[in-house]
Amino acid sequence: MRYFGGCDSGSTYTKCVIIDENGKMVADVTLKSRINAVLSCQDALDQAVAQVPDLNSAQDLTYLVGTGYGRNKVPFADENISEISCHAMGVHVADPSVKAIIDIGGQDVKGIAVDTDGTVLNFAMNDKCAAGTGRFFEAMARAFEMDLDEFSCLSLKAKNVIPITAQCTVFAESEVISLVGEGKPMDEIAAGIELSVAKRCFVMSKKAGAVDHITLTGGCAKNAGLKAAIEQVLKLKVTELPIDPQLMGALGAAEFARQKGM
Amino acid sequence: MKDLKHLYYFENLLMDADNELVRQAQADGRICVGSVCYQIPEVLMNLGNAFTVRLRAPRTGSMEMGTYYLTSLLCEYSRALLERAIEGGYQFLDCLMAPDGCTMINRCVENMELLKINEKEHFFYKYLEVPMKADDNGLNLYVSQCKEKILTPLHEKFGIDISDEALRKSVEEHNKICRIITELGNFRKEEKPRITGYEFHIITMCTYVCPQDLLLEKLEETLEEVKNRQPDEKWPYRARVAVVGSEIDDIDMIKLIEDSGAYVCADRFCFGSLPGREEIILNDDEDVLTQICRHYMMTCMCPRHMDTPKMNRRREYVDEIAKKYKADGIIYEQMKFCDPWAYERMVGSHVLREEYGYPVLTIDRPYAVGNSGQIRTRVQAFVESIEIKKIQGGIKSGESNWKLSTREAL
Repeated sequence: MRYFGGCDSGSTYTKCVIIDENGKMVADVTLKSRINAVLSCQDALDQAVAQVPDLNSAQDLTYLVGTGYGRNKVPFADENISEISCHAMGVHVADPSVKAIIDIGGQDVKGIAVDTDGTVLNFAMNDKCAAGTGRFFEAMARAFEMDLDEFSCLSLKAKNVIPITAQCTVFAESEVISLVGEGKPMDEIAAGIELSVAKRCFVMSKKAGAVDHITLTGGCAKNAGLKAAIEQVLKLKVTELPIDPQLMGALGAAEFARQKGM
Repeated sequence: MKDLKHLYYFENLLMDADNELVRQAQADGRICVGSVCYQIPEVLMNLGNAFTVRLRAPRTGSMEMGTYYLTSLLCEYSRALLERAIEGGYQFLDCLMAPDGCTMINRCVENMELLKINEKEHFFYKYLEVPMKADDNGLNLYVSQCKEKILTPLHEKFGIDISDEALRKSVEEHNKICRIITELGNFRKEEKPRITGYEFHIITMCTYVCPQDLLLEKLEETLEEVKNRQPDEKWPYRARVAVVGSEIDDIDMIKLIEDSGAYVCADRFCFGSLPGREEIILNDDEDVLTQICRHYMMTCMCPRHMDTPKMNRRREYVDEIAKKYKADGIIYEQMKFCDPWAYERMVGSHVLREEYGYPVLTIDRPYAVGNSGQIRTRVQAFVESIEIKKIQGGIKSGESNWKLSTREAL
């Protein structure tokens, strides 16, 4: 049996997926990225390989594709492919009915329109600003003195929304601290934060030409409050994926590896 | 491919506005005329012992001072120029010409004047009104402005010969440069071009920011070298793109695009060669200045021109160069807050995609891209989408075996 790997070196998390020649996912790893992308990838690959009895090291993989911001630093990778293409392919493999993706990663937000063959039809992406990204949520959770999981469910309890005017992460954090200081309900502030990010996602998805059958990928896809806010602004139900949405980039990379290495 | 012998030299010339050739010319007593836009005809400033330098701000970092005077909502090119001016980077200029090509660059130069950034005793500024419509009225305006704001002051302040003969000589010298650049640019049409988009961009930019006559010898040598150059066996790029949009004088931008797998085969942007480096053909029947002005007005592809024929022509032109240079896709770029190109990019990218059928990537970019991961990812994804479509040749691989087996396995 031949095995194929995809390693998604993200700014916040490093993900690794191994699939066999039939496309079956046989290993997956998600771990917090270290400052050194090479070491993070190495750790992820080692842990993923350890889940497959037939493999001794990452070099035993028939083909390995790197993706994510550190895609050119993945050890033993045969090539690197952008995370935009990999997310499209990963999602298409997981659920071919999906036509569009909102990918919210550690440092960027992307809207991706997917063709019927899993290729990218169009995409839009934020610039250098970290507004609406995983970093933004980390900063907000810090302001609330909560962990991310706790923060992501907070807004679901809100009966009203307190709008957040600042999009900039730094200004928004300062605004949130002021609101908390004024004694405003935490869940309503959280709902305002989720709504502001959802609006940004709305823009990205529209720019990319997304209309329906939209799914969320990236670490922030697990944020229940954000998902609810996105469904509210898009006025549609976000398609749930059968696989961890954070793994989509790595899965797409592994699928490309399989395509190239077969 | 073997490195071009003079490439490092050309790159070094772009590291500073006050470069080696500018210093050499000024040491010989020549007059340096600064300009900030394509719409001020170069040939009118390369007269006699005068030479022109199109302003850039290489190695720009923060733009705090420029932003203080111009606000953060003005394009970064104008803010970067003002920043560099305040830092003292343009002391070498003898005068500065600015058109009202866009209000931002005009405001930038006005601030330079108000701040008295140049300490030379006879330094002067001139602002040209340039036409918004390419018609006879526009041409009349353009001719009178060029005469009044460029030729007359150069003659009065520095004694420059502005006769028809001098103008013809300047055009002749200009055409020598244009022929070399055009010939070099034509190699980009080859299946495996023997010059990279980056190399071509560097060489072309040098012709805008150096005394052209001092550059000629090395340009001629480079042309000969390229003629005899062997392209690599293995083509290192995965797609060919035409880059269209606002000014690019950042040497990292084209490099970043090519490093992401896209060969830049055509350059429709300010500081590029399309247009800008085509010969000016003169006849003997008409006043020389009028002919020069007409050439610039008619070849100009700046969205500053807002008449319908010009607007439509800009799209046709992109289509023409994309075909001529065999581009697989088009990158429409616009510097952040560049108003004319913001509108042009928005409309142009849709028209080129929907009416002409090109894959189009649009980029809103900073003046200096540095090592932008986001732009790199966008270009790479664009290349991949072109590449995958090309490989699959329109066959929907969703129906192929590998995809089906994957779904089943999951």
